[in-house]
Amino acid sequence: MSIQVIAVASESGVPIFSRKRGNCENPQFSTIASLHGINMFTKCHKLSIVNTHVDNGKILWKEYCKSITLIGITTGGLECDLELLLTIVHDVMVFCIGKKDLETLKNIDQIKRDLRQCYTMLDYLLESLDTQSVPQKSILPDLIQSILCPQAQHLQPVLDHYAQKVTGRWACLSIHGHLVATSSDFHELDFREAKLLMLLAAAQDGAPLRETAVFLPQMSPNVAFRAVTCKLLADVYVLVMCGATPALSEIDEIVLQCWETSTHIIKEAKLVHPRNFPLSINFEPCVLGLLVININKRRCVFSRHLHLPNQKTRGMSGVYKTDILRTFFITTARDLTTELKMKDNEIKDCTFGLGAMTETYWCSEYHKCHAMRSGELMCCALYAATVPTHTMRLLTKQILKDISTSKEVFW
Amino acid sequence: MLSHKSKMNYESPCDSDNDWSESSDDSKCSDRESSVPEWDSDIGEDGELIYLLLKNTNEVTDRSGALLENYEPFKFRTDFKRSSTRRSTRGRIFKVLKSKKSRGKDISATKKDVNKNMIFNSETNCEVEKLFGIRLATHIDGKTLIVDDFMTEAKQFYTKVKVGYYLHKINGIEVTSYNINKVLQRVSEDVDSPKLTFLVVSQEHNIDIEKLLTKKIVLESVTNVIKSSLCSVLYLCCNEMEYQSNNDNGVLYCYPRPYGQNFLYNTRGAYVTLNHLAPKSLGTSPPLASTVLYNSKLINIAYAGNYNDLLLVAIPNNVVDVFSIKKLIVSIVKVIEFLYGSLKSCFTKLNNVDKLDCLFSRMFVSLMYKIDKEKVNLNKEVFVEDILGASTVSLPTEVKIQIDDAITELEAADYQEWTDDIENFQRLYTVIGACLYYSGHLLSSHLQDNDLKEINAYLRLNGILQLSVDKEIEKFVMWREVIPNGRWFMLIVGKGHFVLATLMEAGGCTEDAVGVTPPSPFYVEECESCLELLFDMGLDKYLFTMFISNTQPQVQTSPETLTKQGKKKDSALSEDRVAGRRADREQKSRRNSSGSDSDWDKQDGSRSSNMDNMSDIRKITAGQENVLFHFVNFESERGILLAPVRSIEAHANNLLYSFIVATFRFKINQSASECLNKILVAVKEYGILFDAPQEILNQCGVSKKHPETFSFWVVGRVFSEPEPRELYVCYHESVPQDLTEVAYMLSYLE
Repeated sequence: MSIQVIAVASESGVPIFSRKRGNCENPQFSTIASLHGINMFTKCHKLSIVNTHVDNGKILWKEYCKSITLIGITTGGLECDLELLLTIVHDVMVFCIGKKDLETLKNIDQIKRDLRQCYTMLDYLLESLDTQSVPQKSILPDLIQSILCPQAQHLQPVLDHYAQKVTGRWACLSIHGHLVATSSDFHELDFREAKLLMLLAAAQDGAPLRETAVFLPQMSPNVAFRAVTCKLLADVYVLVMCGATPALSEIDEIVLQCWETSTHIIKEAKLVHPRNFPLSINFEPCVLGLLVININKRRCVFSRHLHLPNQKTRGMSGVYKTDILRTFFITTARDLTTELKMKDNEIKDCTFGLGAMTETYWCSEYHKCHAMRSGELMCCALYAATVPTHTMRLLTKQILKDISTSKEVFW
Repeated sequence: MLSHKSKMNYESPCDSDNDWSESSDDSKCSDRESSVPEWDSDIGEDGELIYLLLKNTNEVTDRSGALLENYEPFKFRTDFKRSSTRRSTRGRIFKVLKSKKSRGKDISATKKDVNKNMIFNSETNCEVEKLFGIRLATHIDGKTLIVDDFMTEAKQFYTKVKVGYYLHKINGIEVTSYNINKVLQRVSEDVDSPKLTFLVVSQEHNIDIEKLLTKKIVLESVTNVIKSSLCSVLYLCCNEMEYQSNNDNGVLYCYPRPYGQNFLYNTRGAYVTLNHLAPKSLGTSPPLASTVLYNSKLINIAYAGNYNDLLLVAIPNNVVDVFSIKKLIVSIVKVIEFLYGSLKSCFTKLNNVDKLDCLFSRMFVSLMYKIDKEKVNLNKEVFVEDILGASTVSLPTEVKIQIDDAITELEAADYQEWTDDIENFQRLYTVIGACLYYSGHLLSSHLQDNDLKEINAYLRLNGILQLSVDKEIEKFVMWREVIPNGRWFMLIVGKGHFVLATLMEAGGCTEDAVGVTPPSPFYVEECESCLELLFDMGLDKYLFTMFISNTQPQVQTSPETLTKQGKKKDSALSEDRVAGRRADREQKSRRNSSGSDSDWDKQDGSRSSNMDNMSDIRKITAGQENVLFHFVNFESERGILLAPVRSIEAHANNLLYSFIVATFRFKINQSASECLNKILVAVKEYGILFDAPQEILNQCGVSKKHPETFSFWVVGRVFSEPEPRELYVCYHESVPQDLTEVAYMLSYLE
């Protein structure tokens, strides 16, 4: 299995970068030139290749801002919405250097250098697609992976206070790369921008305090903001967007003032990981893994440690559980959430109006998956193979009910 | 004296055979003049033949009359003597062929009141003629009624209506060939003057599949239609040597032409490069299909590599989607290899361009032309059933035996009765095997799996199967050499809705075929008499009734009766009925515990006492009510699939049902097993629950005041034993189903 993403300047054909994951070689210059040539040639004949299927894979060209062409290639049955991925890659590029520079491409060597800083973010994105590893930060490229915990409620005022102190906005707290709590104005951000901030926080892992100039693709593609990430505890970061002031040294002091008293709450919240669901919500032993999605907020909670260690569950490896649930969601369950589909997806739009899909399931020799949607929430659950299909339906329904009625859940 | 010589002058050996003239038939065998078959002049220089004569069945009432006609029981054959069934087919038939052309519909409608008191003289004693003074014909789609002619006395009433208009409504009720008799009955009982509504048609596409089959060159009008539809095919060699020696930059074949106007030709560089680049530099397989946007239309292009050469086929996405085009190109390659041995020899064969044009134009037209008779606003018209394999029907054992028997007799080639001179007798061909279709459905195959796949693909892509559905064939003879190995020939004979395809081999124990080999009238007659035998048995009438009877197994074609409101209406009629899930479950467990065959028969047999042989209306789902809407059982190895007969949907004429089936087809297209990553390989069963849209429910009589959800499952399951097969089932959510059980019930039918 492998995935490659190649960026080329549309007009000049200069290769800008290429990132890959999996067992493929870095594409050679001649390959990139040929790929780009194919796209340019068909364009001359007023024809555009939307998509190409190969055995167990896909090749896709997509042009952005009329200046950058992104080429994506997947092999080995890697399941992902390639078009969606390329759109996010483009978002990352805008996030790092701004839309204007990307559109004009005036100093292409400078741009190539500038874009190097986003490589870590891109690699995290591609890692989230790898079936052979357990991605720590994110398992779905377009959804913000979160932890649901009762402490979020108490952390929100602290985040609000902190943002106010640094004269900034949109603050959030992440634990192990998962979104735990947000300031009350965080919802103003587009979900794609929020996802980029989470990727940024993940990419800056290890640094105690850092500032980065970022462009928000939706809200402010041409004027940079200052994103400040600060490490509070091991694997705990707080992120805030602010203007040119205050200086980093001042922020350091503010952090201390604001967060000192909340340490115990954060530590409590940290304990929820890796279960990622409040302890008050219990699951049947036959539920082996869970992926719950809040469709409106584009947030997902994934867990493969639903039960206490003494509760012996079937010996299915973590990689396998993650892969099954992710593949189930991408290939099948995603169809339950038409909102998550891309708007400019021409191929899908021309299919006829299907009835609303409300449930879907998979059965295999070793496991079963079931997905059900109820309002804003969707639940994909991994069950032991012994669970009968109709029982599966009842259990998933109960899980959805428990989560939506729980008083300890704060999205 | 069945020798090669006799074949060369097209003399049927039976002519000189004394035994034959003794047969019961009032044989015209002695008539030397008529011994030349009517298709004789149509034989090409290469010995190939396509001869087609359609029955002039413009009188729709004749056909739908059969619907009301009492079911004619299947006649068992007791007399196995072949001589009695043999019918001489000599003598030319000079029938004027009236062909109805498919046309694009126009919106404008003309209304006409007809005086109730008028009764027109009708020679044929036809109701339509008597009541309205018009003669009707059936549209190529088999459903729409077309004004064919006016009675002389009626002409003055229909000043605005012209021949060729569609009869759309009578008294506001939409009429089709299926319900016309019922509607007419109501009209004749009604006191008021009937009101007729006609649809005015505009002439757009004028494609005639019959002409496409028989003409040796493609008419320009057809090419133009294909050109504008953006269907295209291209074969190019990417080998440098050949590339340079070729005048057209390596393009060996391109259709539709001229080259410059073919978008596939113009952009071929892209596909060639991609085909080259993908395996060498990207580490992927060669491309299978590309989706392109051209003239704001999505078009799918499929690739088939052949060493250094590349075959490309482009068809718009609304006709054939990506999944189907990948399957389709495999069929195309299969057919080409069957006919020519290899792609290369097909496209490099001298003077083969006209033949290929015909083949591809037939293929594109038979794929596209279904769109014209579009009735539901869904653009997925090429059904997944068509793409996967040959549709079969499950026949009662007795019927199956009779059919197999007839085919076996043909294959046995036991001509002892025909000649005393056994010593000097050598047959021209060994019959390898044969397969029989009725109305596009495979009834029986005595062919090897691979041969069947090839023949099925050939019949499908050439539109012959569709033709046998739409039209009644008077006489159809097709002969050509095929190339699996040795000198094999394919003989296809059609009559009525039957198509019989036979594979024959020359050489070996039979005579060697030398040079150009035209069809032997003797073998054509043998095949024809085999079909004739089926007619004598009454199989045509039996199958006609069976195909509209929804029995094998029964599917639920009025889904709205499964809703609460539908049930209320139902239970008002029969109050003692136990309904609900619990009852269903109990019923199911009761059935399971009893388990014996006789019990099962009794349960369902009681429903249909007046159906005689067709008493086997079977329900394959659990629960008391029939919750099964649709199913496809596909045996990939054999290339055979079992599904409800195609006409069921049209007969059901139910919006909700059509919606359910369309959803089913669409979903199967997306999920049908392709090799995916390692996790998906392990997935055995895949189910999706759908809710039907409220507006469709409302249109089907579920009231807006008490909206209720109508949910149905589309479930697919893969079985690896005893043979690999895939089962797709669509059923109402109210009764949970076990697919293993459904599969078992289904196999029990066969």
